[in-house]
Amino acid sequence: MNRSFNKSQPLRNMDCNAVEVKSKYGAEFRRFSVDRVKPGKFEEFYKLILHIHRIANMEVMIGYADIHGDLLPINNDDNFCKAVSTAHPLLRIFIQRQEEVDYANFGTNTITRKKKAVVALRNNDVNRKRPHIRIGMPQDFRPVSSIIDVDILPESHRRVRLYRHGSDKPLGFYIRDGTSVRVTPHGLEKVPGIFISRLVPGGLAESTGLLAVNDEVLEVNGIEVTGKSLDQVTDMMIANSHNLIVTVKPVNQRNNVVRSSRISGSSGQSSDSSGSTGYPSLSVASVGVTSSGAHGYQDDLESDEEADIVIESSLKRPSQRSNASLASSVSRTHQQTPTTASGPPAPPSPPSRPSSVVSTASFHSHSLSYQLHRDLNLQHNPHQHSNPALRHSNGSLHKILSSLKTDPRHSLALPRGGVEEDGTVITL
Amino acid sequence: MMKFRFRRQGTDPQREKIKQELFAFNKTVEHGFPHQPSALAFDPKLQLMAIGTKSGAIKVYGAPGVEFTGLHKDTTAVTQIHFLPGQGRLLSLLDDNTIHLWELVAGAPREVGGVKKEGVVSLQEVGNYSLPGRPGIESCSATRVTVLLLLRSCDLLCIGTEGGGVYFLQLPRLSLKDNHTLLQDQVTQSLPDDYRCGKSLGPVESLQEHPQQSGKILIGYSRGLVVLWDLSTRHADQLFLGKQQLESLVWERTGNLFVSSHNDGGYSVWPVTSGNTCSHQPVTSTIPYGPFPCKAISKILWRTTQTGSPVLLYSGGMPRASYGDRHCLTIQQDKDHVTLDFTSRVIDFFTVHSTEPEKEFDDPSALVVLLEEELVVIDLQTPGWPSLPTPYLAPLHSSAITCSCHISSVPPKLWERLVNAGKAQQGRQHTHRSWPICGGKNLAPPPKQQELLLTGHEDGTVRFWDASGVALTPLYKLSTANVFHTDCDPSEDPQDPSDDPDMQQEEEWPPFRKVGCFDPYSDDPRLGIQKISLCKYSNKLVVAGTAGQVIVLGLSDERSDHLVDVSVVDLLQDREGFTWKGHDRLEPRLKPAPFPPGFQPLVLVQCLPPASVTAVALHAEWNLIAFGTSHGFGLFDYHRRNAVLARCTLHPNDSLAMEGPLSRVKSLKKSLRQSFRRIRKSRVSGKKRTITTPTSKVQEANAALAEQEEVAPVQRRIEPRSADDSLSGVVRCLCFADTFLRDGTHHGPTLWAGTNSGSVYAYALEVPGVGTGRVCERGGASESSVCVEAVLGKEIQLMHRAPVVSICVLDGRGKPLPDPYEASQDLAITPDMTNAHSVLIASEEQLKVFSLPKVSAKTKFKLTAHEGCRVRKVALVVFSSTAQEDYSEHTLVCLTNLGDMHLFNIPGLRPQVRFRVCFYLISPSEYERFSLSAKVITEPLFSVQLDRPLEPTPAR
Repeated sequence: MNRSFNKSQPLRNMDCNAVEVKSKYGAEFRRFSVDRVKPGKFEEFYKLILHIHRIANMEVMIGYADIHGDLLPINNDDNFCKAVSTAHPLLRIFIQRQEEVDYANFGTNTITRKKKAVVALRNNDVNRKRPHIRIGMPQDFRPVSSIIDVDILPESHRRVRLYRHGSDKPLGFYIRDGTSVRVTPHGLEKVPGIFISRLVPGGLAESTGLLAVNDEVLEVNGIEVTGKSLDQVTDMMIANSHNLIVTVKPVNQRNNVVRSSRISGSSGQSSDSSGSTGYPSLSVASVGVTSSGAHGYQDDLESDEEADIVIESSLKRPSQRSNASLASSVSRTHQQTPTTASGPPAPPSPPSRPSSVVSTASFHSHSLSYQLHRDLNLQHNPHQHSNPALRHSNGSLHKILSSLKTDPRHSLALPRGGVEEDGTVITL
Repeated sequence: MMKFRFRRQGTDPQREKIKQELFAFNKTVEHGFPHQPSALAFDPKLQLMAIGTKSGAIKVYGAPGVEFTGLHKDTTAVTQIHFLPGQGRLLSLLDDNTIHLWELVAGAPREVGGVKKEGVVSLQEVGNYSLPGRPGIESCSATRVTVLLLLRSCDLLCIGTEGGGVYFLQLPRLSLKDNHTLLQDQVTQSLPDDYRCGKSLGPVESLQEHPQQSGKILIGYSRGLVVLWDLSTRHADQLFLGKQQLESLVWERTGNLFVSSHNDGGYSVWPVTSGNTCSHQPVTSTIPYGPFPCKAISKILWRTTQTGSPVLLYSGGMPRASYGDRHCLTIQQDKDHVTLDFTSRVIDFFTVHSTEPEKEFDDPSALVVLLEEELVVIDLQTPGWPSLPTPYLAPLHSSAITCSCHISSVPPKLWERLVNAGKAQQGRQHTHRSWPICGGKNLAPPPKQQELLLTGHEDGTVRFWDASGVALTPLYKLSTANVFHTDCDPSEDPQDPSDDPDMQQEEEWPPFRKVGCFDPYSDDPRLGIQKISLCKYSNKLVVAGTAGQVIVLGLSDERSDHLVDVSVVDLLQDREGFTWKGHDRLEPRLKPAPFPPGFQPLVLVQCLPPASVTAVALHAEWNLIAFGTSHGFGLFDYHRRNAVLARCTLHPNDSLAMEGPLSRVKSLKKSLRQSFRRIRKSRVSGKKRTITTPTSKVQEANAALAEQEEVAPVQRRIEPRSADDSLSGVVRCLCFADTFLRDGTHHGPTLWAGTNSGSVYAYALEVPGVGTGRVCERGGASESSVCVEAVLGKEIQLMHRAPVVSICVLDGRGKPLPDPYEASQDLAITPDMTNAHSVLIASEEQLKVFSLPKVSAKTKFKLTAHEGCRVRKVALVVFSSTAQEDYSEHTLVCLTNLGDMHLFNIPGLRPQVRFRVCFYLISPSEYERFSLSAKVITEPLFSVQLDRPLEPTPAR
């Protein structure tokens, strides 16, 4: 469990300028180092990689795990340089054959990926049938928003999903009361409605470009807001803020997604979100925004927030030490059938999503530094690189750390070898 | 996902039936004093009293347990109520100039819990009337009703108006006798010329029927003229040419004289002699509190007694300059003269006296005074006119209520001791004469169990109320102020304060006597009680207050003088960079203080910084108390008198919590922002805003309103809760439980704490002598292991960071753990310790059950995400079935900020029933009682004997 940790430690201590690189192609690993200060050109690095892995005649895609655990590509000097400079202490490289590359993996907030094997399966099915629409290299971007369920919503409506995870930006919008006009059997009727009243400059909502002032809010995470007060809607949005999906009727109807496949015979009722789960949705990228592709949000809605952090202290009896396995077995009870059908880069069926991160803290090791935090991020078991849990555990870990930091009485002392990590379970 | 869940369970008819047998929503009774009373009436035949309120409610009270309510369709103030004696009917006059006739009707018999019950008697409106004209447009509209007089025959209602006209209305049809209307002109014609002087007589101020000769009424006009009018001959029998502005009139019982009270603070006695058509001067005229200008005597009563001198009762009349602001009522008989000094405005008053025509004298037995905030009853037959304790309408809010706590199934022993302690307390101040208002017959069976309501007040008192029945009656009052040294400390002179007024009475004029217990002014707001916890088996009580004081009290039947131990617990734990800017702690009393029988303080634990206590928990079996503030929480062993644990819950960024009583900084920020916005706006509009000096409150309010409207419409910011929101460290709930925290095989004492930012801390406790798994450790008992120890076991951070409202541990069967002593004394089923326990954590947004000892989520219900409402309060309640005697279910009852009640089963957290009722705080002085059980309902059940048959309501 802590092999990588132990191995890398002496190396790190010896030479600060050298960045240890652990490169993975298929099931094979190669280890080497590059100079942190002068990493050189991407071309050279690319050749080095091909050489080391002895795959000289192949077109490959090089990716690395950034400090957030996201898989980002290396394809030019800039991002190579970035990868090396941010690597701490270990730069983890993942090589894929060009034809096997699944772009949907790149840059995704890993949480959103493959929590439900079923979804992943469908996703892949679709991908196989229809080549993925290639919008462009995701580069360093992480999705902050997406338009979803385009196929089941009326064209005049837009369902926007805002990703809070991994973003330090505030959601950054305000809602207000108002009246809207509805078409009813009795003609036009004025009904009370909820509208977006203000976007905070630089906030997530503004940066997506998918929401605008005076857009009418119709649903929050699949629940209609008609008949609900402003305060109720506010509370609903805040309660769902970790994964907020708002269905709006944009005030500007000119930028609507026009569906070609189906004649718009869909009713205005879009509340049956469970039906939408399996459908791939059209990805629409606006400025600097990448859609995460085909995910039914319902799944995320269910599992996303389940991440209450539990810190256990050292009062346990010896029998409890092996809580890692215990915890993962517990978390397995929550997930829906983690079958082998996860995407190609995924390892053979890791516990797909933990419901909570369980960590055992001896309370002397309370306030771990941010340094350690970053250490942990790069100490992943390579099998986990694209596992959604990884990113997730990061977030939780951050929370753990921040919560630990609240108690400065405890020393910084970190017991040697006391840090273990096993995918979904972080043991402090 | 949720949709599936709903659908699945909704289809089970079996379950639906059980639910119907378990749950039912009923609004039963209101406890306390009606908010903003505005009218009072008494039916001497039925012995019923009616109180009208500004919100249009009429509440009728008889003997304790007999009470019913009527509600006008409009929420307009009830200005007058008149009973039709003996008929079970009453008339009400509203502020909108409408007259309503009400009737007592018996509701249809119904079945409650399988038992056939008689219909509940209720008040129903049967008719209404408003005088033609232009009422309500202007306040001085001519047909605005000023007074009503119901003749003894009950078939005619005389209506005095603002314009001076008197109208006559036939009852019970409520039809105007058009040709009988007496306009002012008719009266003026018979006046002597020198009195007429061209001016109007003013509004009708009083109408009184002659006590002996029916058909003759006394009409008093505002200008001072009083006319004895014969209704049958339609002719003025006698004129009394008063010169002073009239306030009220009252007949003497014989009808030989009447008394008028006036605007100048005086009253006059006028003789009524037939043959003399015009009296210019009264027999006597007195200004009791003169000679300096006095306020008006608004109402006067003159009651004859067998002993000779009549009793004179009047409200007001105080010397304007010195006591013009007092709310007073004077009782005078011969040389006895008492000025009752109330703390709130006198609304109205009446006497209970013999009304039978055979009797020669009034012989008043009691005076009932309705004040704005309480009801005071004075015993007029006992010398000294002591006050009578009221069995209902208790002013719950005599000092502002700061918290409350309900305890059911109180053991008889504790009940008895509380009753005795309460009796000892009030023994001297009150008379024990029986309650004078005794109409109706209470048919409710004696309560199966005793229920206590504890209310904590701003003045540091805890009041114990008998909440077993329909009437909420005071049992016992506990004051915590004497634990501390306060400014107005009576410690130097430990005399009973009730002695003082008697001593002063000799010297002072007017002879004031403080009456009533409504006292909104707190000596020291820091004394305020914030949290109460009572262990009904060990008679231990914990009360915690505004200045971080936590007092442990024990019940004692003997008076005791002792010094209270003080322990200080620093919850900041040397956390640096914080300074407390709030109030100081209360200084504990240094000298031993006398404590009367009842709950007597044992230990005082003082939290530092002295922020208000936000949560307490008591485990009397382990001798432990836990308490939390906005800074952290602590654990104290009151048996060994040592602090076990102090834990700071502050987030490092949370500087606001340190600023003292709730976010002053924030409000400053806000007000600054607003003023900037205003400046900006005025610049943009270019208009120069004229700074008007508001001349009246109304103008000011209007200006504020206009200001508000101009500001952008209400908008709400959408932002997730972050860790450094202010006041994130506030401890919201604490709980003790004997459960599995360390591992699945050893259970032991634990302490749980939840904070405002969704953190939960669980501590494993080592309590000497408690816990099964620690036998070996006890074997080698050293000095140190004698103390209670606490070790942090788990820390849970809820991701949604909503405030944790409640924590509760469920046993192996999914039932809540019993209270301390319940299991050990065989009062409850022993909890299942063989299967895995779980913990129910209710936050403002979600309900969640986690497994123990491994904390992993088992079930949850996301209330806010689905309904948009937030959890205000939750409680675990046992519901018994109406159909099966021994079937009951534990249910989680959840009150939301929208006023809804949601019921969930546990541990499944499946929604059972939702009651869409609106619980809103409308009155600071009342409790409204609701029943969610189909089986247990506390509701009034009584009968009233009427002259007419009491028919059941026709089905509408």
